[in-house]
Amino acid sequence: MSILQITPEGSRPSGDTLAPLIESLNRRRSHMAEIPVDRLLALLDEFSGRLLRDERTRSLEGIMFLAAWLRRNNLQRLLELNLNGNPAYLDGFVSAGRDYLAAKPQGLVAMWMAGNVPTLPMYSLVPALLAKNVCLVKLAYPETGGMDRLLAVLADCRVEGLSGSELLEAIAVVWFDYHRTELNEQMSLAADAKIVWGGRSAIEAITALPRREHCTEIVFGPKYSIGVIGRERLEQDADPDGVVAAFVQDIAIFDQRACSAPQTIFVERNERYSLNEIGEMFARELAKLPAKPALDAYTTMQILSARAEWALDESRDVIASDDGANWTVCMDRDVVLKEAVQSRTIFLTEVESWWEIIPLLGPKVQTVGIALGRLETSQKFAEAATAACVARCVRPGIMNNYESPWDGKLLVGQLVRWVTLKP
Amino acid sequence: MADHNNVRSTHPTDVAERVDELIRGPQYAMPQAEKDAVLVSILRVLCRDVAGRCEPYGRFLERFGGDVDAWQSMSDVPPLPVPMFKRFLLSAVPPEKVVRQLLSSSTTGRQPSRIVIDKTTAFRQARALTSILKEHIGPRRRPYLVLDAPESVGDGENLTARGAAIRGVGNFADKTTFAMRSLPDGNLEPNWEGIESFFAEHQSGPVLLFGFTFIVWSRFVTEAERRGLRFGVSEAVLLHSGGWKKLTADAVSKEEFGRRTAAVLGCDERCILDFYGMVEQVGTVFVDCEAGNKHAPAFADVVIRRPLTLEQVDIGQAGIIEVVSTLPTSYPGQALITEDQGMLVGVDDCPCGRLGNYFRFTSRIEQTEIRGCGDTFAQSRELR
Repeated sequence: MSILQITPEGSRPSGDTLAPLIESLNRRRSHMAEIPVDRLLALLDEFSGRLLRDERTRSLEGIMFLAAWLRRNNLQRLLELNLNGNPAYLDGFVSAGRDYLAAKPQGLVAMWMAGNVPTLPMYSLVPALLAKNVCLVKLAYPETGGMDRLLAVLADCRVEGLSGSELLEAIAVVWFDYHRTELNEQMSLAADAKIVWGGRSAIEAITALPRREHCTEIVFGPKYSIGVIGRERLEQDADPDGVVAAFVQDIAIFDQRACSAPQTIFVERNERYSLNEIGEMFARELAKLPAKPALDAYTTMQILSARAEWALDESRDVIASDDGANWTVCMDRDVVLKEAVQSRTIFLTEVESWWEIIPLLGPKVQTVGIALGRLETSQKFAEAATAACVARCVRPGIMNNYESPWDGKLLVGQLVRWVTLKP
Repeated sequence: MADHNNVRSTHPTDVAERVDELIRGPQYAMPQAEKDAVLVSILRVLCRDVAGRCEPYGRFLERFGGDVDAWQSMSDVPPLPVPMFKRFLLSAVPPEKVVRQLLSSSTTGRQPSRIVIDKTTAFRQARALTSILKEHIGPRRRPYLVLDAPESVGDGENLTARGAAIRGVGNFADKTTFAMRSLPDGNLEPNWEGIESFFAEHQSGPVLLFGFTFIVWSRFVTEAERRGLRFGVSEAVLLHSGGWKKLTADAVSKEEFGRRTAAVLGCDERCILDFYGMVEQVGTVFVDCEAGNKHAPAFADVVIRRPLTLEQVDIGQAGIIEVVSTLPTSYPGQALITEDQGMLVGVDDCPCGRLGNYFRFTSRIEQTEIRGCGDTFAQSRELR
C-alpha cells in the first residue's frame, strides 16, 4: 500500500512520494507565519466548543480532556509558560530593554505519532500550529482513529479573519507502512523540527534517520509511570476508596497504553489496611468499569501469564475478573518496577517506606501518581523523585492529563527559533 | 453411549485405567459431545489430584478453577500458560520418581521449559504417540531416516523436544539412520552419501522420515534441489513438526513445503505430514489428515479461545490455541494455553472421516500492536 492522506473527508491514496505534500506545506509557511496568535487561539477555542457538540467527535476517547485543553484560557497560559511570559513574541519583535526579541516558527515540523491515544496528534499539532509552523503528521495505523473526524470539525470552525479550512492547509496527515524507509527519510530530511512519539524500537528507528543539521529533534517516550499510596494517607483518610477510584481512572483511560498510565503502584505498609485489602479495593473499582471492547491475542496472553505467575508463586497473590482477561490486580512485596502488561493490569507492591522506591526511579519514569498525605510529604517525595529524573508528580486521577511541561519539555518553546534585533 | 464412558469414580486409579483405555482404543472415533463428557470427567479428578501434589498448581487451581465439580466443558478447565514452565519447575512427584526431564529447544538462549516426567507419564506418552501415528501411517515398522544428527536425541535423563520426537517416531522403525552430522559450530550438515545410500537400499519399499520443519526445509529439501537430487521413494512418509516462523519469514507456505518436499522424495504430497505438538505435552500430537486439518486424539483435545473473553470460538473463527491432555500425571500439563493461534475448522465432519474437533495452526502470537509511548521494557535494572 502506498501513502494514505487523512483528510476531513476520510483517507485517500496519495501516491508514492511525499514530495507534493511537502512542497505544498512549504508554500504555506509564509502565510502561516503572518496569522496573529490571537486569531489562532480564538479558532482553537471555537474548535474546543464544537468538539463536544459535534456528533462526529463527542464520543471519541479522551475528547472531554482535549476540549478543555484547547480552551483559550488554557492555551494562553501554556504560551505564557512556554514563551517567557509573553505570547506576543510570536507576532513580532518585542522590546526587551534596548533590544528586541521574537519567536519565529521553526518551519516544517514532522511528527511520527504513536498509536495508543486517539487524540495524541492534537497535542503535538496544536503547539506546532501556535508556533506558526506547518505540520506533516504520520499516523501509526492506516485506520484514521478519529483523526479524520477531528480534522472535519476543525474545517467547519470559523472566527474573524481565520477559518479552520485555511488552517488545515498548513497540515498534512498521512499514513504509510513504517517499513518504507525512503518515505521516512523523505519526511525526516524535509523537517526543520521532528517530534517522535513511540516505543523504544520506533524511537530508535526514527532518530536514526538522516536529518538536516539545524533540525531539532523532540522525543516523547518510551516511558513508564507508577503510583504511590502513603501510610499517612491510608491511616488518616476517611475515604481511601476515593484514592483507589482515582488511580483506577488513570488505569482505565487509553487502556493503560499511555506513557503516563500507572503500571506499578507502591503501597506503604500501614496499621489500617493490608495489601490484600487494598487489592480488593482496586478489584471493586476495576469491576465497575464497562467491559473492554476488544483485546489482541498478545496482550491476552501477557495478562494470562501475569495472572498465572502471581498465582503460582506463594509469596504473591492475584485477584482477577471472572469474565475473561478484563482486569487483574497482582500483589507482592518485590520492590521492582514490573514489566508493563497494560490493559487494566495493575501491580500493587508493598513497601515499608516510599524511600525504597527512589533507587528505582530514573529518566524512563515519567509520572508518579502520589497519594501520600501531607503536602510536606508530597514535596519531600517530589524533590527526591524529580532529582532522579521523574518528570511529573501528580495526584491520582489526572496522571494522563496532557500538560506543559511534558516529559520535562516546554514544547512550544522548542518549536520556535528565538531571534534578536539590536538596532 | 456417553454415560457409560464417563468416569463416575473420583479415585485417580480408576481415572488412570480410563485414560489407558483411551490411549489403547481408536483415536478418532468418538463424537465430540461424548468426548467432552469423558474428558471433563477425567480432568476433574486428574487436575485435583495433581493440584494436591503440586503446591503452586494447587494455588493456581484454587484461584482460577472455581468449583472443580461443576466443570461441564473443556473451557471450564483453567488453562496454564505454557511460558510458566520456563519460570517454574512445576512438579507433582518427588525427585526420586522423576525418570526424565524434558527441555524445550530454547533456541533464543532464554530459559528453556523444564518438564518432569515420571514412569507413568513416560509410559503413557510413548504409547499415546504410537497409537496416534498408527492411525496415520499404519502399524508396520520400516526403515527410518532421521533428518537430524544423532546428538539431537540427547541422553535419557534430559531430553529435548527434538530428541523426544525422534525417539517417539522411532517406535515405527526397524532400522534407524541419521541423515546429518553435527558440526563443531552447532550447525547440521547432511551426509549426502549416507542419504543416497539409504534411499538406494530402500527404493522399492516403504520408508519413514522425520525431522524438524525448518531443518527439513533448510538442510534437506532446498539443498537437495540445489544439487539436483530426486530420490524416487514413492512409499516414503515424512513426518515433520516444529515452528513455521522462519519459513513464513522466507514466504514458504505449507503447500509449497509439501509440494517441493514430495518432489524431492518422489512421493505423494499427502505423505508429507505436519504435526502440532510441544515439549510441554509430549505424546499428545495433532497430526494433519488428508484434508490438511489437525485432529485431536481420543485422550486429548484442542480448545480455540477468543482473546479477551476466553470463550471457545465458533466454527470458522480463529483464536488462541489451548491443548488439553489426560496423559500427564507428574506435572500440571492437563490444560495449557499456548503462544499460538489457530482456527477451529469444524467438529465431527472432516472429509477424512475422523471425528472430534479439527483445526489449523495459523501463526505464533506476536506483538503486532504498536504499544505506544508506554512501551514495555525489562524492569528496574534497565531503568537505573
